[in-house]
Amino acid sequence: MPVPVMTVPGEPPAARAGAAVRAAGLRKTYGRGETAVHALAGVDVTFARGGFTAIMGPSGSGKSTLMHCLAGLDTATAGSVWLGDTELTALRDDELTALRRQRIGFVFQAFNLLPVLPARENIVLPMQLAGQRPDPAWFDDVVARLGLRERLGHRPHELSGGQQQRVAIARALLPRPDVVFADEPTGNLDSRAGAEVLGLLRSSVRETGQTVVMVTHDPSAAAYADRVVLLADGRLAGELTEPTAESVLDALRGLGA
Amino acid sequence: MRTVLLAQLRTHAARLIASTLAVVIAVAFVVATLVLLQTSRATVLDAVAARYVDTAAVVTSESSLSDRVDDVAALSSVAAVAPALETSVQANVPGRTGSQFLLVQSVADASALRWQQLAAGRLPSGPGQVAVSDRARAALNDVLTVTLVDAEGRESTAQATVTGIVDLHGDPEAGLFGRAFVTEQQARDWGATDPTELRIAAAPGVPDEQVRTDVATALRGTDVTVRTGTAQAEHAAAELMGNATALAAVLLVFATVAVVVAGLVIANTFAVLLAQRTRELALLRCVGATSRQVRRSVLGEAAVTGLVSSLAGVAVGIGLAAGVSALVGEDSAIPLAGVSVPPYAVLAGLVLGTGVTVLAALAPARAATRVAPLAALRPLDPAPLRSRPGVLRLVLGLLMVGAGVVLLAAGVVMPSLLVALPGGVLSFLGVVLLAQRAVPPVVAAAGRLAGRTGVPARLAAGNALRNPRRTAATATALLIGVTLTSAFVVGAASTRATAQGELDAEFPSDVVVEGWEMPGSLLASLSRLEGVDGGTTLRAADVLGPDGQPATVLGVDADQATSLLRSTAELALPRPGEVLVPEWQAETYGVTAGDRLPLADGGRTLDLAVRVVDQDMPLLVAASDLEQLAPEAGIAQVWLRLADAEPEAQVDAVDRVTDVVAEADPSARVTGMITLRQQLDEILDLMLLVVTGLLAVAVVIAVIGVGNTLALSVVERRQENGLLRALGLTRGQLRGLLAWEAALVAGVAAVLGVLLGGAYGLIGAASVLGSAGTIVLAVPWLQIGLIVVVATAAGLLASVLPARRAARTAPVAAITA
Repeated sequence: MPVPVMTVPGEPPAARAGAAVRAAGLRKTYGRGETAVHALAGVDVTFARGGFTAIMGPSGSGKSTLMHCLAGLDTATAGSVWLGDTELTALRDDELTALRRQRIGFVFQAFNLLPVLPARENIVLPMQLAGQRPDPAWFDDVVARLGLRERLGHRPHELSGGQQQRVAIARALLPRPDVVFADEPTGNLDSRAGAEVLGLLRSSVRETGQTVVMVTHDPSAAAYADRVVLLADGRLAGELTEPTAESVLDALRGLGA
Repeated sequence: MRTVLLAQLRTHAARLIASTLAVVIAVAFVVATLVLLQTSRATVLDAVAARYVDTAAVVTSESSLSDRVDDVAALSSVAAVAPALETSVQANVPGRTGSQFLLVQSVADASALRWQQLAAGRLPSGPGQVAVSDRARAALNDVLTVTLVDAEGRESTAQATVTGIVDLHGDPEAGLFGRAFVTEQQARDWGATDPTELRIAAAPGVPDEQVRTDVATALRGTDVTVRTGTAQAEHAAAELMGNATALAAVLLVFATVAVVVAGLVIANTFAVLLAQRTRELALLRCVGATSRQVRRSVLGEAAVTGLVSSLAGVAVGIGLAAGVSALVGEDSAIPLAGVSVPPYAVLAGLVLGTGVTVLAALAPARAATRVAPLAALRPLDPAPLRSRPGVLRLVLGLLMVGAGVVLLAAGVVMPSLLVALPGGVLSFLGVVLLAQRAVPPVVAAAGRLAGRTGVPARLAAGNALRNPRRTAATATALLIGVTLTSAFVVGAASTRATAQGELDAEFPSDVVVEGWEMPGSLLASLSRLEGVDGGTTLRAADVLGPDGQPATVLGVDADQATSLLRSTAELALPRPGEVLVPEWQAETYGVTAGDRLPLADGGRTLDLAVRVVDQDMPLLVAASDLEQLAPEAGIAQVWLRLADAEPEAQVDAVDRVTDVVAEADPSARVTGMITLRQQLDEILDLMLLVVTGLLAVAVVIAVIGVGNTLALSVVERRQENGLLRALGLTRGQLRGLLAWEAALVAGVAAVLGVLLGGAYGLIGAASVLGSAGTIVLAVPWLQIGLIVVVATAAGLLASVLPARRAARTAPVAAITA
């Protein structure tokens, strides 16, 4: 598919070439006229391959909406989203669905797993839906790294919250997607289990070059990322590289949060 | 709590639609049955009352009333007495072949007591005149030839001119046979003797009750009943309605089935609705509602839902009855005119609908009160609900099935339907109780099978089993309808096959032409006809028996006949040198098996070995023997075998035979078991159609239940469906998932139902027909297959709407809980 060349002001061509996901002029408006709410008011952002990026911002800043639009879970009002060479905003629902199961991994805050399936089935579900068989060596590798070998036969309600999130991460990593989106992955966990999950996400970036984009409101969680993108009132409000919990907190204070 | 209740109803109205629908259908069924029954009763009463409209009093008696007429007429309060005379004649209408039976009734001499309504012409006023009912199919001024048979059996004929056509509308007996109305004197001339009743007109100004008392006093000491005209009309109507009451009982049994199925659907709906509201209920408990208040609120919701849908059901039922009434009209076996809505029908509908709904909600309400206030604070537990089926239920179910099976076995062995029927009811109730345990494993097995087709089917199997109790209840509702339907279908098939076998044995020849000295060329011309496979002639002669009296002997060629007959199970054929003697004749002659029986004719004699047989035939000898004894014997019977074909084609063949016979020998008679077979088929088909139609109501309610459970599950699994969509399940696959779930539940219910129903049908047939002789058990595989397909397809259809709704779930729903 020929890629139409888009020029985004202020962005070097090199960054575009290595982009896993990027958005241009992204808008999402709820309602019309007087009562219209602009959840996203024109966002241009690029996420490099092999990077771990956290999207942060105060409540109502549009960070979740941004992630939904980037992941093809929600449709944008205007603007476009690219996953590698594919323009998501131009796809029909079935194409988008097929793309999600093959090229995007998801880790949600809660309700990540199907209660009727054991852990193993949950992990391979997206690949099965696509009619593919996982590479056994890679499956073993992922399961081993997430420490789930003993838990594969358990159903979700037989697992702890941290274990459930690790199953969700395994599921997200298994198809080797272009990008893994994590939406508040530690929101329901205690701090130890949370740290474990974040460590696992980071090591998948370091060790296998996986691209991860994470939405969070927790500065200490954001500190695990390589880069933090700050959002306020539906617009980009700055970014940090090599963040620490303190620098993120400072930046957030700067936004008036 | 009332505000909470009302708010609940407003918010969840849509979710209650399915259970509302179930109640509406069931209540409508009950109300329509009751209304139709009352309508039919009122119509009959109207028709019967017409006969007594100006009658003050009526005298009836078991003994003769002839001598009472003068006693009654002499009373001062009596203006006129009309004895109701009845007789019957055979009548020939000009231009019509064959004679018909006419019931002759007298027209009162006193004009005040004439009740007949004329459609045309006038009532007869003298001898040789007659008014007829529509059914007689005669026209004004036709001259009927009336054949009378007197007490000694002598026939005589008379002529009567049609002066009027009487309108008998609404009379339930009007369609049975034609009626002729003649003067009292003419009725006596035609053989009427004792009046069946005396109808009495009051003298001017005398009230009916006074007349009744006077007549009763005058006839004291005699064996009579005296009623006022009104009372007599009610009495006569009640006697006529005897059959309709039995019909009503049968209809109400089916109505009960519909109500029970509706109850299951409602109970399931409330259980699901309350499960979805666990947090809400817990929140109510948190803010201070007592468990009593929670229970009252739930039951109140059920009562309001039940009442509203019962009202709708009553309206629908009355509308349905009006429709049926308009469609059936007055001129049927069960005459209907307009609709009469008795208050008890409305009341019964309302009480039943509301009662069933509240009753069905009792168990879910009790479960709701067990919700701990703390549940409001816990996050939603995605764990599948584990329900523990009660031990009591298990034990009770097993006991009932066990006892039922024993009774069923006894019913087959004895054989007696009266023993088998309670066994069937008992064991089926047991099965319904056990379904909660039995259905889920079967669904699981079916799910494993279906799971091979792909992920959606595997997920569907898992979903169908995550709440076994709910799945079992949904399937049970369908199971009931399918079981009963297949039981009737299989039972009817076995009845048909058995009756067919018996008919074959009883009427071994397809067509019998009977006459006396029929032309010799007849068989050849009949054999040439299309649809006739072959035939044989039987000659007959009157010869002298051993007692010197004439006896008819029939000669048959056993070899030829055997190849033509359907069955020789009940028909013995003679070998040469043998004579078959019916039991009664053997007694007359004083012979037993093995004796010799001498027969003589015109100087020729024949001495044959006796075989005593139990069959309704004259003396039967071999054709060759008869040839020897009476060479001039004429052809008395022709037996024909028809080609195997559809019943319609065979009836056509019989018609062709009849035409040829009528031309060759107008006095010959053609009878064929084909018509009997046809009649039997028609009766069974009609019965089956009616029963299937009635059970379809239960199946429809159950299918609504399947759709309802799915719809509620879709609401419950909104997040989960969103997650699946996010992870890459296409809309089509999501629809497929729900279709699979519906197909699994409906399919398992259909298969189990067909198996159970087939067993019940066979057992029922065996216990009913066992006493009749050889039973032929038949399983109509095609119809059985059709039931499974239709029930499963209906389940699939029920999944369409919930599936569309589920497919609209945005993937984001998974995250934005």
